[in-house]
Amino acid sequence: MSGKQDLTRESGISESIGFLLIFSIIIAGIGLVTLYGYPMLLKQQTSADEQIMEKNMIVLQNDVKSLAYKTVPYTETSLKVGGGALTIYNASYDDTTTSSFTISDDGGAVTTGPPLPQTFHTGDLRYQSNAAETMISLENGAVVLRKVAQPGSTMLAEPRWFVDDTTNTAVIYLINFNSTEMLARSGVGTVQMAFVAGNYTEYNIPAGDKIYVHYAPNANADYSTAWSNYFTNTLKMTEVVGNPGVYLVPTHTSIPALLVVKQYEIEIQSL
Amino acid sequence: MARMNEDAQWIVLMGFIVSFSFFFLAMILNQATVVGQTTAESVLDFPKNDVRDVKAVIIQSSSVPTDADFRTDLQSIALSRKNAVVNYSVTLPNPPADIHTYINIHYNNGVTLYDEMWASL
Repeated sequence: MSGKQDLTRESGISESIGFLLIFSIIIAGIGLVTLYGYPMLLKQQTSADEQIMEKNMIVLQNDVKSLAYKTVPYTETSLKVGGGALTIYNASYDDTTTSSFTISDDGGAVTTGPPLPQTFHTGDLRYQSNAAETMISLENGAVVLRKVAQPGSTMLAEPRWFVDDTTNTAVIYLINFNSTEMLARSGVGTVQMAFVAGNYTEYNIPAGDKIYVHYAPNANADYSTAWSNYFTNTLKMTEVVGNPGVYLVPTHTSIPALLVVKQYEIEIQSL
Repeated sequence: MARMNEDAQWIVLMGFIVSFSFFFLAMILNQATVVGQTTAESVLDFPKNDVRDVKAVIIQSSSVPTDADFRTDLQSIALSRKNAVVNYSVTLPNPPADIHTYINIHYNNGVTLYDEMWASL
């Protein structure tokens, strides 16, 4: 009987205060999720999209490798472009804004092939994220990445330039993109690429002559750090003192060298 | 007051199991999307047949080792078709002392660097 009496003592309980407590806990919960949880989820989604795109670009680079080095005429890859857009920037679209590679020598000594210096515009297949944070490009057979607001850039997958020490031969591959119309893709799409034309030039470089490579970046997509690292670390080129952006190809200059420039033109038929 | 009926607790438990399994499935799916190329690509990149072709042609031609045109032709074709720098040197047999032909083959396509010394029987 006394227990029953205890249960009925409710003078310290207020319905409105109880409601207020529960209600404020719920509001605080919703507030936390909206202000912290949701942006975190979005950010994770963005970085997942960018990671997927990095992989996609490497897959596309493999397609380009097949087209260029393995004489495959046509490739097709389905991919999902999330959180941004994939756009083709033609090599022939505007010579003043596309990135270019210039190959030159000390001057006048090379008698074979088209006269040096030669400038090649590459164009690129570029992914830009909606958050405007990351830019990934397939440029001249390499996959390069940069953060938009920062000056640096990095190379995710390298092209296949090489210098053969035994025969003193430097082989430079130049791969450019073209398309008949402006193409861009966001969402699921198929990238169709076809090999259009190849060009092969041999230069006999006499002893004492040096070969240089210069990369001129696109003002909107500057990957010069990535290319500089590739030139100096992978190919062991050295930057010419007083001439930034110009690199010396490490052939032996005491004996005649051979410079082979292979050009490939790839047409993007759809994105 | 009637006793609480707890017979249906398994429904709640199943709910937990299903939701956790969804959670793990989502995690696995999330991992799957970031997987791209495998090392199989790199294995396919090894130019075994190209090396064999070049080697066969060089061995066949070892009877004409001084033919400069043949050498330049071979090197140009290897460069334009196979994207490879090829070089070789032939040491002809010197009968009383050594009856073997030796060929040093050098092959480099930027990914694979291959050197071989071939000796005739």
